[in-house]
Amino acid sequence: MEYEMIVGLEVHAELSTHSKIYCGCKNAFGGEVNSQCCEICTGLPGTLPSLNEKVVEYAIKMGHALGCTINPVTKQDRKNYFYPDLPKAYQISQYDLPLCEQGHLDVLVEDEVKRIGITRIHIEEDAGKLLHDESFSGSLVDFNRCGVPLIEIVSEPDFRSSKEAKAYLEALKQILIYLDISDGKMQEGSIRCDVNVSVREKGSDIFGTRVEMKNVNTFSGAVRAIEYEAARQIEVLESGGTISQETRRWDDSKGVNVLLRSKEDAMDYRYFPEPDLGAIVVSEALIRQMKDALPELPNKKTMRYMREFELPSFDAGLLVENRDKARFFEACTAIGGCSPKNIANWILGDITRILRENKQELPESCITPEKLVDMVARIEKGEISNAAGKTIVEVLLAEDKDVAQIVEEKGLGQISDSSALEDLAREVLAANEKAVEQYRGGKTNVLGFLVGQCMKASKGKGNPALLREIMLKLIEE
Amino acid sequence: MNLYEMSAAMLARKLRNKECSSQEITQSVLGRIQAVEGQVGAYITLTPEQALETAKQVDKRLAAGEKLAPLAGIPIGIKDNICTKDVVTTCASKMLHNFVPPYSAYVVRQVERAGMPILGKLNMDEFAMGSSCENSHYKKTKNPRDLTRVPGGSSGGSAAAVTAGEAILALGSDTGGSIRQPAAYCGTVGLKPTYGSVSRYGLVAFASSLDQIGPLGRTVEDVAMLYSLISGYDPKDATSVNRTYTDFVAGLNDFQVNGLKIGIPKEYFGDGVDQEIKEKVLAAIKLLEKNGAEVKEISLPSTDYALSAYYIIACAEASSNLARFDGVKYGYRSGKGEGLTEMYEYTRREGFGDEVKRRIMLGTFVLSSGYIDAYYKKAKATQAIIADEFRAAFEQVDLIMTPTAPDTAFRIGERSADPLKMYLSDICTVTVNIAGLPALSVPCGEIGRGLPVGLQMIAPHFGEDLLFKAAHYYEKISGLRLADVAAL
Amino acid sequence: MEIDVMKIARLSRIKVTEDELAHFQKEMQNMINMVEKLPDIPVASLAPDKDHPMGLRKDEIQRSLRRDEVLQNAPETEAGCFVVPNVMD
Repeated sequence: MEYEMIVGLEVHAELSTHSKIYCGCKNAFGGEVNSQCCEICTGLPGTLPSLNEKVVEYAIKMGHALGCTINPVTKQDRKNYFYPDLPKAYQISQYDLPLCEQGHLDVLVEDEVKRIGITRIHIEEDAGKLLHDESFSGSLVDFNRCGVPLIEIVSEPDFRSSKEAKAYLEALKQILIYLDISDGKMQEGSIRCDVNVSVREKGSDIFGTRVEMKNVNTFSGAVRAIEYEAARQIEVLESGGTISQETRRWDDSKGVNVLLRSKEDAMDYRYFPEPDLGAIVVSEALIRQMKDALPELPNKKTMRYMREFELPSFDAGLLVENRDKARFFEACTAIGGCSPKNIANWILGDITRILRENKQELPESCITPEKLVDMVARIEKGEISNAAGKTIVEVLLAEDKDVAQIVEEKGLGQISDSSALEDLAREVLAANEKAVEQYRGGKTNVLGFLVGQCMKASKGKGNPALLREIMLKLIEE
Repeated sequence: MNLYEMSAAMLARKLRNKECSSQEITQSVLGRIQAVEGQVGAYITLTPEQALETAKQVDKRLAAGEKLAPLAGIPIGIKDNICTKDVVTTCASKMLHNFVPPYSAYVVRQVERAGMPILGKLNMDEFAMGSSCENSHYKKTKNPRDLTRVPGGSSGGSAAAVTAGEAILALGSDTGGSIRQPAAYCGTVGLKPTYGSVSRYGLVAFASSLDQIGPLGRTVEDVAMLYSLISGYDPKDATSVNRTYTDFVAGLNDFQVNGLKIGIPKEYFGDGVDQEIKEKVLAAIKLLEKNGAEVKEISLPSTDYALSAYYIIACAEASSNLARFDGVKYGYRSGKGEGLTEMYEYTRREGFGDEVKRRIMLGTFVLSSGYIDAYYKKAKATQAIIADEFRAAFEQVDLIMTPTAPDTAFRIGERSADPLKMYLSDICTVTVNIAGLPALSVPCGEIGRGLPVGLQMIAPHFGEDLLFKAAHYYEKISGLRLADVAAL
Repeated sequence: MEIDVMKIARLSRIKVTEDELAHFQKEMQNMINMVEKLPDIPVASLAPDKDHPMGLRKDEIQRSLRRDEVLQNAPETEAGCFVVPNVMD
């Protein structure tokens, strides 16, 4: 029996607003415990929430990025449950009227485009953090994170493999960063993920019973969790059992999940409209304005680079991943005069390496698109060698000089004058009669040695391709 | 006449004319508290030093010729469900027996900015749930008009303090009648403002969509003065309405009773209301008619469903609002039980009184899966109908007048065995909260052995101006000695 | 309308013992009977009122409480945090 897995993802992303969602406390990671709190976000009696306008804006931006319909009139609802990290014993969220609905995300999975449906995006507040340690007298609660704004992005159950899920998560993270609405730092908890998995016989169109998994904290962890759960479900079914609707907790260090809540224990959240907040109304004008202001999104950009510049998907992806590099690359291609592929190679190769060594970001260096294009054009024309380029680019990054200056200062001009090279080649041939005989005798790889000798004689300035040609011609004479 | 017996308006004049000082006024009220608090039990916490310090500062500024707020120097009591920074705020519950807020409510900051000495925190039914002040964890406040009887609730302490001269003014809160009914039982004036006209920031929530903080005083003018101070837009309360809030005192006498259309809804004069109360209220309305008002019988047919709708909505919201009392961050924590769940369960079992627990459980039930449609959503639909009926009525009349309470102050302990009987005290008042309307209770006489009767006037949204004018006019023509402090 | 008092008590996190059950059952039943008196109308949609939009707050940082103020009412604290009985996350 062959099975296929069906996966849906619920991603929570922390928004990078200045202040929290319902109060003016600072929204920042890593503060000293309970030092970024007020009476509102610690749920003191008598306090009331006040909705941060930026949260609504950022959510709408994400909605546009994922092709969603934006609901111009929405509300918030209370989700009631008891837990120590939830000070009011209810979370202010959105239940049946989310801010954004019915979108999609096109994701590249091993060079193929897969469309993932987005059911909804809604806004809600984050809870605090529980700290555990054997030395503590109990569990400790830190409310700094309480009230940090979240958007929850719910996908349709469109994933059929863990690879697809991972690609989606990476794409989503990129978009969040590109839109400047979240820092996307998983290690700081800026993105969290709940996973829904079910399995069914391949070819069937009936959905199996779905199991929800919590505590998935990394993208690779999501892959492991999905693989594990799918396998677990298949095993249950193969041994004649049935899958019950439950919530399980993923333990990445052990690579297993355990039952957290069965269907019978399912929480009754008693959702009802938040009486302390009124209608959230967004004008059509504002919705349109934000749609127009949307930048080109990373996945679209990647596909465009592949199409327009014929870059392989891996390279395109690497360029897009870093907004500065993407911008730089696009500026170079706009100038024109050389091959985008070569530009890309220089950016992703030597430039990236040198920046990393110097712990620098691209905008902090001295290189400009004009200068890089200048250099690459000269290499393509044969005026300088590739090897010379490596030297030049290092200087371009470090100092405010232009290519011509550097070529002159370092004497890097490549000799491409055929007659000059021919003279040089004849000298080398004359000095290496034995090699020439070996070549004529069938050892064709001796040519490389002879070209190498020419390069040596030219102090590296000879155009190697041209030299090779000339060599061949002379030998054949 | 002692200073503590005078109205705020009178005292404000005396202060401006330098006939007395704020410290003298405050001392007079504190002296009265000392004399009668043992009998009345209106206060949970007294803050005499802070009050005198405020009074001292006001006197200094007055002496320096500064122009101060109209109520500067007038001592006030605050219901103990309104947060006062650094002063314990208990909501009359064991659950908050030691809760000291690190912040003050919007209304408290207004009161402080105006320079009003705060005398202390007033007793109430626990978490504002009750109609007699008998549900307080600390004490049962007595009705100053008859110490064997309840002062009403939940703002029993507020009404009693004002009536007994233990405060010139008081702040209470009203969710289903909790300012008006005690005002009626004690024979004093109380206003439940239009929903959204007074910030709820700092009011410990009972039912978020129904609660309002409101003023109590011995005269309509006093209540109008205090309302002018506390009403206003507060961005920290998203349900606070952003509009211009005028002064309500200046034009009080600028009123023509001629042509005032008064609606009398027959549903409020049915069998559930004491005959004698009906007579007193109708007599008061007749007096207004004699002077030129037009009286019209109207019908608000959904009144019959109001109590149900009210208890469902209020308890639903309360069950959620009171869930934060879990022993984790503040207040009482039980030592019983093992583990987190038992800590929650025992804390809330021991920290809450019976009435609170009943209402929380009812609220949880009406929101629970499988029942929310039949109860909560039905109640919200009923709310819409009730509000619509009032809207239609106000197209025909300017004010609606009813008895405030169906009875007078009952004896302490008389109703506490039967919670359902207690709920019936609210039948004349809950519709007003459901519709978000403003309503004022003004004394209109006494029955039996000096038991006060309250006349309730209801206006359209933001119609406080008309309420004050009409009620102030009534005070003048009624010939009743309404503003007297109770003899104790 | 028979209500499951134990279930409601658990949802409300209020301890009710077996011998209290009958008493609570009766009280809850009385209350439910009282509130069942509602008109026969369609239930509310609970939709937001678009004619009364809520004002939103500007994204500006305001003063927070000091940690000692945050903790000043805590029944139990340790290392600057609130303490609860051990919870498995």
